[in-house]
Amino acid sequence: MDMETRDLADGVGLLALGGRLNMVSAPGVKAAIDELIGGGRPRVVVDLSSVSFMDSSGLGALVAGLKRARQAQGDLRISGANEQVLTVLRLTNLDRVLRPRDTVEEAGRDW
Amino acid sequence: MSAAVEQARIEEIASLGLLDAPSESRFERIVRLACRILDVPTALVTLVAQDRQFHVAEQGFGSREIPLSQSFCRYVVDDDRPMEVSDARLDERFRTNPLVTGDRSVRFYAGQPLHSPGGVPVGALCILDTTPRALTEDQRELLADLAGLVQEELGRSEEFDRGRDVQLQLLPKSTPDLPGYEIAGGAVPVGLMSGDFFDWYPVGDALQVVVADVMGKGAGAAIIGAGVRAVMRGTSQYNELDEAVQRLAVSMESDLAETGSFVTMFAARLDPVRHELTYVDAGHGLAGTVTAAGEARLLDCEGLPIGTVTQGGWRAATHRLQPGDTFICLSDGLLDLFDDLDAAVAAIRLTALESGHAQEVVDRAKAYARGHDAADDVTIVAIRRVAA
Repeated sequence: MDMETRDLADGVGLLALGGRLNMVSAPGVKAAIDELIGGGRPRVVVDLSSVSFMDSSGLGALVAGLKRARQAQGDLRISGANEQVLTVLRLTNLDRVLRPRDTVEEAGRDW
Repeated sequence: MSAAVEQARIEEIASLGLLDAPSESRFERIVRLACRILDVPTALVTLVAQDRQFHVAEQGFGSREIPLSQSFCRYVVDDDRPMEVSDARLDERFRTNPLVTGDRSVRFYAGQPLHSPGGVPVGALCILDTTPRALTEDQRELLADLAGLVQEELGRSEEFDRGRDVQLQLLPKSTPDLPGYEIAGGAVPVGLMSGDFFDWYPVGDALQVVVADVMGKGAGAAIIGAGVRAVMRGTSQYNELDEAVQRLAVSMESDLAETGSFVTMFAARLDPVRHELTYVDAGHGLAGTVTAAGEARLLDCEGLPIGTVTQGGWRAATHRLQPGDTFICLSDGLLDLFDDLDAAVAAIRLTALESGHAQEVVDRAKAYARGHDAADDVTIVAIRRVAA
């Protein structure tokens, strides 16, 4: 899985992912989110526009990141999810807490 | 490689239980075969551990481990793809490796990655020679096939076999005798053990049915699943369904937090007299009915999975089953085999219509999962109200 992090704004970090978000890649994603939050960016945007597939372990990494962000008085948002990822989110109703945004720009606004 | 990915690998290797264990004939056989078939003096089954490369089995090498700095296989593991080095003296990465410069005089290397049952690359099946060479396409395929054999063996140990047997024992062994109803359930684990389970038992005059899917798969998910099953049985006897789920969530909260896991669950009580199915859906989302006339609909689902962000808000809803209605609940492993949810629902609808009995619905779903090499555990429960 490809991972890239950068700052979006003050206190807002971006984690851009590419490839398959599954049992193999989930620990790395979780660690990358923890690192952003631990590094003083409690507001995290995870861009999924290059993620081709996500399973329940991948979803688990995002949920863990969301919990961690909220503990740090921040939040975690996702952008660019494809139809398969959206289906996983909708079925579990987790789209209500991880509300999908179309673009990184949209996700990065109005915290 | 990130520290977290490496950590995942280290944990997977530990869970295999092969590190520093006595050499086993099932692996020795394969390295001997590799040497004979591919005409090389040395073959190894390796695990790339934190600080060293451990040899689960070796032929023609004479040592059970080497320092990580000498490992060829770690490149195979890092890249998670086969690697072939025709002449190590000409390769920047290995030119000064003591295996190459020393008495062992390694020139040729070919390695195939080996994955744990959880899908994590953990080591390699490799062959070595003291003269430069290149594999033919045929030989490459042979090595890949042998690696497949090793990989199957990695997931198989007596301990896992026992674990699987115990887990099978935890599934319902008999079908409840509910006048006017056919009830069937089945599971197809992707590995030896499954993060899914289904369960049914009487609660008062009703039959309670539970289908749950623990995040992830394999033995870790199975342990959490066994806990969910037991707690749900306990909380269900003296509580309404929504209260039982609420108490389950409170009981499991710390376990799920500690393990970074969550559970989706569909739980229902079937009143066979009023023909009412009262259910709570905790983020499961894959339950619905197909009527005798062929109308398929998913049941409304509004609860979050257990162990995610909020604990609470699980409300029970009721659906009345008409004569000929088939209720079906699946785990998402089956969904992954279709292009999208609509395609999955269409296939389930057709299966329900064509099946003469609830058991046939389950059998056909299981056959489909096996036939399509499902990458995740598949579980299904079907309940049909017999047509009047």
